[in-house]
Amino acid sequence: MYWIALQPSPDEDRTAWGWRGLQFTPRVAFADEALLLEAGASERLFGGRKRLLRCLLKEGCELRFDAWAAGPTALVALALLRMKRMGLQAPALVPDDLPLSTLTAAAPHLATLERIGCTTFGQLRSLPRAGVGRRFGAELLAALDSAHGERPERYPWLTLPPEFDQKLELPALATSAPDLLFTGQHLLTRLQSWLQARNLGVLALELEWTLDLRRLDGKPLPPNECIELRTAQPTQEIRHLRRLASEQLARTTISAPANALRLRTLETVPWGGVTTSLLPEDNKPGEKLHQLVERLSVRLGEENVTLMQPVQDHRPECMQQAMPARGAVDAVDAAIANRRLAVTQETPATSERSAAGVRKAHRQPPLTESLLPPWILRAPLKLQVKGDQPWYQGPLQLLTRARRLEAAWWDAQAAEPVLRDYFIARSASAGLLWIFRERLAADQARARWFLHGLYA
Amino acid sequence: MPASAPASELVLPPQVWRGRELAQAQERTLPSGHAALDAQLPGGGWPLGNLIEVLQQEQQQHVWQLLGPALAQAMAARGEPAVLVGAPYQPFGPALRAQGIVPERLLCVQADRASARLWAAEQSLRCADVCAVLAWLPQARSEELRRLHLCAQATEKLLVVFRPVPARDQATPARLRLLVQGAEVLELHILKRRGPPLLQTLLLPAQPERLSALLAARKSRRRSEPALPAWSGSHVLDRTATLAG
Repeated sequence: MYWIALQPSPDEDRTAWGWRGLQFTPRVAFADEALLLEAGASERLFGGRKRLLRCLLKEGCELRFDAWAAGPTALVALALLRMKRMGLQAPALVPDDLPLSTLTAAAPHLATLERIGCTTFGQLRSLPRAGVGRRFGAELLAALDSAHGERPERYPWLTLPPEFDQKLELPALATSAPDLLFTGQHLLTRLQSWLQARNLGVLALELEWTLDLRRLDGKPLPPNECIELRTAQPTQEIRHLRRLASEQLARTTISAPANALRLRTLETVPWGGVTTSLLPEDNKPGEKLHQLVERLSVRLGEENVTLMQPVQDHRPECMQQAMPARGAVDAVDAAIANRRLAVTQETPATSERSAAGVRKAHRQPPLTESLLPPWILRAPLKLQVKGDQPWYQGPLQLLTRARRLEAAWWDAQAAEPVLRDYFIARSASAGLLWIFRERLAADQARARWFLHGLYA
Repeated sequence: MPASAPASELVLPPQVWRGRELAQAQERTLPSGHAALDAQLPGGGWPLGNLIEVLQQEQQQHVWQLLGPALAQAMAARGEPAVLVGAPYQPFGPALRAQGIVPERLLCVQADRASARLWAAEQSLRCADVCAVLAWLPQARSEELRRLHLCAQATEKLLVVFRPVPARDQATPARLRLLVQGAEVLELHILKRRGPPLLQTLLLPAQPERLSALLAARKSRRRSEPALPAWSGSHVLDRTATLAG
């Protein structure tokens, strides 16, 4: 048996510490002011006591503690912890020389015991059992036996809640959304412990704050407001969530001062762990693509971070669709992963062949597509017409004959069918342009010209 | 005392180069796809992990013609996306696909404020899964570019910044600085490189091969038939494919 007693600091972090402890052993309990862990069974798994302690207390831990102590039984560990906190040296003979003041069960009888000259565990144990039982009750004897390891110890073992839902009072009223972040950080740290202990990755979170005022300027206020944090891939990494939260809070305004903050999980999935690789090219420093996309989307707005999706259509403006990258990034991620897999499996011969294939595909692109402009306007720009000649930063000279497009007459949603003649035109200042003239427009005499693309 | 060896026989460390020669590249390079340009660049291509500055009057011009082959190669190599920060127009997928660029992997980031663009470019550089960053930063100051440059040096990404021509008077931290002009032909001046200054102008095609062929065919036909009236109507369809092929 190997018991560790730990004093969390501040006291509100007890639960988080308990959850953290559950990663190392299923036997975690609260006893009085301290946290008890029975780690005897998992010593070997973590590579010995020293390593286990290092994992528990140091590595990747954002929780803080006051002191810790270890002993063969829970009560000894607890007594040693209490001595440490009082600034006393641990006695040479444990548990016989431990002072009785560190035993919870002896606390009501301390004065009496001291008067009969009995101050340590050993002295009390050397008294006749029957007399001690009659005078001080069976509890003290039971505690003493447990401390000596002659009686099994039972505690209400800690279990994890199925959902994370915690609330914290703010130390001071928060008047702006970024003020919430400090407390939010505490909650996120606890969330990490919970996720690690349950072996889950989080996909969506809700951060909710309670408003201090019922009404403001005569208008009733809702009791609380909330924001939602979402990430594309399940994570246990709190740094990314914290960044997302801070970006989102920076863009949020709270309608009244808030006094409490609550964090709960909306969506969690089993955590598969992080895949590591020995290949140097897989271990590039930097964040993941979806993390980048999420942060850009949160700060700049989802409509400003886009990926193109091809659409089968003949109308140039409908040939592609700008999708918010947040929803579409998975496909790109999958492409990268597939490509990596292909690269690692590729022999030189196949890579040469595939490169040749790429070159071949290069040489013969589809005929019409290679004549399209690489830049396109989101909506065609109406051009001025001066004396039957379209005008864009100067007169335009048509270089090709018309490429006729008739489409969308089948589309009930479109306002009118697309009847256009496309030309490539040269402008003195802007280079080659892709312009079109509307055919069969209502007013035939004055043709309407539009700019639709630019060659680069 | 023996005479020291002639300077031409001395083996110089890679960081030092003679004034009349091109430097050896310290970093990986990416072939630009234009043989004439590659011959003039140290290491024979775009330096990766360094700031490349392209100055031109019209921000949208010549981008894909100049960078398309390199970009296609970089994106095909590992399937990673490229980021366009503050592109002046929307890239048109079908045309880019013809150049070998996969348009689904172009991440377009739009931001009006200069600081937001710089931030987005910097964040993209820090991302492990991005292979190239193209940023349009007309108002960037030299120290902001230096920051980007330092950021790029930590990685092996292609970083190209497009700026207007007046910026050529300002100092730049860029390893390579190009001035691009011309409409019919792409005229390229190398303003800064590790090597001797390049006095003559490099001429590259300003359009893809097929488009040039089409335009040339039209031009010769128009010259041979001067009597043909200029565009009066559109009763004839252009069979572009037959002309271009």
